[in-house]
Amino acid sequence: MPMPNPSPLRQRVRQRAAQLVRAWDGPMTRDLVQRPGAFGLGRVPERLTPDATTQLTCGYCSTGCSLTAHLREGSAVNLSADPLYPVNLGMACPKGWEALAPLDAPDRATRPLLRGPDGVLRPVDWDTAMGAFVGRFKAIQAAHGLASVAFISTGQIVTEEMAFLGALAKFGMGMVHGDGNTRQCMATAASAYKHSFGFDAPPGCYADFEESDAIILLGSNLCIAHPIMWQRVLRNRRSPEIVVIDPRRTETAQCATQHVALAPKSDLTLLFGLAHLLVRAGWVKRDYIAAHTTGFAAFEEFVGAYAPERVSRETGVSVAELERLAHTIGTRERVSFWWTMGINQSHEGVRTAQAIINLALMTGNIGRPGTGANSITGQCNAMGSRLFSNTVSLFGGRSFTDPADRADVARILEIEEARIPTENSLAYDQILAGIDDGTIRGLWIIATNPAHSWIHQSEARARLRKLDFLVVQDLYADTETAREAHLVLPAAGWGEKDGTFINSERRLGVVRKIRRAPGEALADFHIFQLVAHHWGCGDLFRAWRSPADVFEIMKRLSAGRPCDLSGIHDYAQLDLAGGLQWPVPEGASAPAAERRLFADGVFYTPDGRARFVCEESRPAPEMPDADFPFWLLSGRGTSAQWHTQTRTGRSAVLRKLHPATTYLELNPTDARRLGIADAQEIRVISRRGRLTATACVTAAVAPGQVFLPMHYAETNRLTFPAFDPHSRQPSYKAGAVRIEAI
Amino acid sequence: MPTLVEELLAEQRLLTPVAEFARRHQELTHRPDLAPHYERLIPLSAPARGEQYAFEVDLDLCTGCKACVTACHNLNGLSPGETWREVGVILADEPAVSRFVTSACHHCADPGCANGCPVLAYDKDPHTGIVRHLDDQCIGCQYCILKCPYDVPKYHEVLGIVRKCDLCHSRLSVGEAPACVQACPNEAIGIVNVTLGDVMRESLPVSVPARTLTGATTRYLGAEALPASARAADAATLRPEPAHWPLVLMLVLTQLALGVLSWRPSAGAIGFALGALLAGLVASVLHLGQPLRAWRVFLGLRRSWLSREVIAFGAFAGATSLWVTSAFGLSLPAFVVAVLPAVALASGALGLACSIMVYADVPRPSWRFPRTAPRFLGTVLSLGSAAVWAIDGAPAARVALIATSLALLAAEGFWLRDAERAADPLLRKSARLLVGPLRDPLGVRLLLAGVGGVLLPLLEDRVGWIAFALVLGAEILGRALFFVSAVAPRMPGNAAPARRRRHS
Repeated sequence: MPMPNPSPLRQRVRQRAAQLVRAWDGPMTRDLVQRPGAFGLGRVPERLTPDATTQLTCGYCSTGCSLTAHLREGSAVNLSADPLYPVNLGMACPKGWEALAPLDAPDRATRPLLRGPDGVLRPVDWDTAMGAFVGRFKAIQAAHGLASVAFISTGQIVTEEMAFLGALAKFGMGMVHGDGNTRQCMATAASAYKHSFGFDAPPGCYADFEESDAIILLGSNLCIAHPIMWQRVLRNRRSPEIVVIDPRRTETAQCATQHVALAPKSDLTLLFGLAHLLVRAGWVKRDYIAAHTTGFAAFEEFVGAYAPERVSRETGVSVAELERLAHTIGTRERVSFWWTMGINQSHEGVRTAQAIINLALMTGNIGRPGTGANSITGQCNAMGSRLFSNTVSLFGGRSFTDPADRADVARILEIEEARIPTENSLAYDQILAGIDDGTIRGLWIIATNPAHSWIHQSEARARLRKLDFLVVQDLYADTETAREAHLVLPAAGWGEKDGTFINSERRLGVVRKIRRAPGEALADFHIFQLVAHHWGCGDLFRAWRSPADVFEIMKRLSAGRPCDLSGIHDYAQLDLAGGLQWPVPEGASAPAAERRLFADGVFYTPDGRARFVCEESRPAPEMPDADFPFWLLSGRGTSAQWHTQTRTGRSAVLRKLHPATTYLELNPTDARRLGIADAQEIRVISRRGRLTATACVTAAVAPGQVFLPMHYAETNRLTFPAFDPHSRQPSYKAGAVRIEAI
Repeated sequence: MPTLVEELLAEQRLLTPVAEFARRHQELTHRPDLAPHYERLIPLSAPARGEQYAFEVDLDLCTGCKACVTACHNLNGLSPGETWREVGVILADEPAVSRFVTSACHHCADPGCANGCPVLAYDKDPHTGIVRHLDDQCIGCQYCILKCPYDVPKYHEVLGIVRKCDLCHSRLSVGEAPACVQACPNEAIGIVNVTLGDVMRESLPVSVPARTLTGATTRYLGAEALPASARAADAATLRPEPAHWPLVLMLVLTQLALGVLSWRPSAGAIGFALGALLAGLVASVLHLGQPLRAWRVFLGLRRSWLSREVIAFGAFAGATSLWVTSAFGLSLPAFVVAVLPAVALASGALGLACSIMVYADVPRPSWRFPRTAPRFLGTVLSLGSAAVWAIDGAPAARVALIATSLALLAAEGFWLRDAERAADPLLRKSARLLVGPLRDPLGVRLLLAGVGGVLLPLLEDRVGWIAFALVLGAEILGRALFFVSAVAPRMPGNAAPARRRRHS
């Protein structure tokens, strides 16, 4: 009989003894042990090893990154960035990485809440909630007309849901007025494109960042607001000029080869001045202009008045800087223009966006790789909203006032044409103003937070309080707006439902249900089904049984339009293709991964030509003066914050990545003059309100200007309610304030 | 028939069947899809002799998106809210430049955490140089947090231990990049092999604690773009440090015991001292997150002042207990009785010296030896004499109390003025804390010390116990302020303070 080998035993005893003295292993060590995760993931925490993975488009910004959900028994236990998606190439910003945390928040709304006669919001069941919803809204409509109830949609839900909402509200419930929070971010770009190109069609793709010789960023802090697009800039191997046109020396401006620190709201003048210099130097593609545009002669004459000396005086940019920039635009082979909220949120944003488009058109920088006049959208589905929310424009970029368009939609949806409103909706600000004059008495707000985000906050909140009935549908019952509601409907969030988003480069990406919603929270889609049923218009929506069904309807609504989706088979195709950019017409051969519009120089106007549009610049309606001597600029604070922070504020990790309290950036010269030290508490006062903030003394803001991040609930107490006359978009980035030390 | 609501709620509860998801990986591939992206960002070979792994960060590429922090969180499976990486800002006004600085553990050549750990819960791998933390060894004393000049180890309230970055050693060992390296969209973070000799010479960006303290290995590229005037964005932000109340009580009570015993105390006074001593030691155990593992505390004796402090105070408590029993009539051999006071006092004095060194050995300017030693010794003298005056009514103790209290008050004033004028910004910040947010507790401390230590003993003889209570309060508050105002060096932070919440 062989003797047992004693050495392993002794070894084990020795190991056990060593482990007793120094515990190399144990339950806490094993808590962090990793193992290969398969599915191309690399190593993952053993505790969170997935048994399957799927991809879904992120639900924060319009970059439209794809995230990989690590699933266990169908439910997501972890997230990482999708390595194989053409948009983000395996990267994500912190909001995306942390996208599951807000779903797990302990304060999710899990039951409908109805305000009782005593003014207290109490949980009720869905039938009671629907009874109140239908009863109150119908009573208001009976007394004050169908148009007295309105809705505010959002860029944060899937296209299928916003389409359902738009159809339900306007065709089912008889509402006339409905707008979206996209009014706050994209209305200007949409209006500008519509007039200049004949359709709301951002022409570029992200590959253009990599293929440009000059990247001109206007009013865009890309590094912070769209970090994954900045990744594409860094992948550019053509040694591009990177120009940032922004009053602040932003993170992006610091990475630029040219930072044009113009005076606030002097952008339109600057752009006309550049056009002047381009004409003067002969850097104008006359062949292209003649073949593909109209209105250049008038434009050329118009910019004759914008000589560099005048422009320099009005913008604070030296003539030499202007000439250098004009030289860059005029002589580089591929110039791409990209703008964001610095342009869109302005009292003359549409004309400014069109002035950018003009520069691209006159230099022939459109339709070729590395060129374009590209608006970078804000929200994950602002682009879906622009086409399918049925708010300001009729489905598919059509017009409510056009009988042919109405007939078209009635035919496709198989509804009576009479159900389609014949007038345009009021814009967001007009709906809120309508509360004051009594024309709007009931409001249904979906997935947005105007009591925080709307300009001139005290006025907005006072108006919401005047409503006879306010319904707020959201993930959380204690958003600033939900707290004002008569009825709160608990919604399932991103990751708890299916559908599609459309990103800044027109790419449709899929969102998947990878989590169960808490309690009785329902997908917005289901809530709309429920409302349709209780309202008594369920029959209209018999074909709208699932997001996939509505996607089929969207395909029919878009067929033959510039935004044609009819060639897309289904969600699975989108999944496997890494998303698809519109247009994808029926029968199209497999579209390339990254495509741009207007390669053929044919635009969507009736004559196929792009328009030069221009108008004299007007001064901002509120400028600094003796009493309120500072320009108040606002914008995104950090990559870890999203808009009103209803979601990012619920991630413990993200909360560590941004300042907890409101802070104000202030130039050292001004700080010294006012006797304000760095990190000191200060008071910021405008004609509309006041707030306290921590002073952050930095030369990133110019003297006479201060910067306040938009994410803090107090910020909009100060903002001045100016609106672009064409897009009705609020001008968040200009107001006058005074600073006091506390 | 279910109602529509019931149907919809039921549908909402269904998850998408996994079979419906488009399947990209037909088989369970193990090669990570991101490998081609990060292969250039990690070394081709393991460190050679005299080298170790280190982070390399290109400041010009980092735009402060902080994806690294969240990727580290997700891919390492950290607890909700737990982060092992931080991103701060360095900025200058002329020229107006700023740079984000991302940092995790610097895997120092001479790690302060490992040198301070009383139970050898840190291990510096001899081949890779990675400083690993042994989670099952950690007793949760948090001394490493004080010892680290970069504020790297983080206390985990639920587990009662510290955790920190391990450079994703298990990923590196199979050729995968650490989570932060994988996730940086700008390829600003990489891993390099650094030569240990170079580590001590290179410099981190301005306004970061000197790397020579511990030989931090992270290599920052592009720091030269920052002018000498550059500062951390949170340079002016006042942030009180944690008070560590159990440690406050432990220090004050052990020092009180030593103070009493260093007089010629009565049996009652010796008993009182023992009571204080034991209460102090119990308090110190309460400080630990994992007290049951604390028996290993002797392991760090060779390097850790904390280890030595515990052993010395153990001996102090043992000797004092015997002293008390003999004082109350237990018969012990005469030679034992004769040496007991000396043994007790010697071990107590040793413990006090270790206490002083525990803090003097930490990279905080307000805890340097010339400040900590007189402060602790002052507590020994003032509290000891106050107690002896109260218990035994010794007139000499009353005089000593007045003298030491006056000296302590004078020293407090001197230190504050000195700190306000100091060249060291951390010391100045410490003074700003004391005259700013900590003004009230400091005022109360000085008032208690003045009344209890000077005024009452000058005026009246029969108020010993009241004086003692006031002086005890003064010393406890003083020790808490000692912790709260000890501004620690750390990597640059952000402008307005974030919520520095410990994760749960």
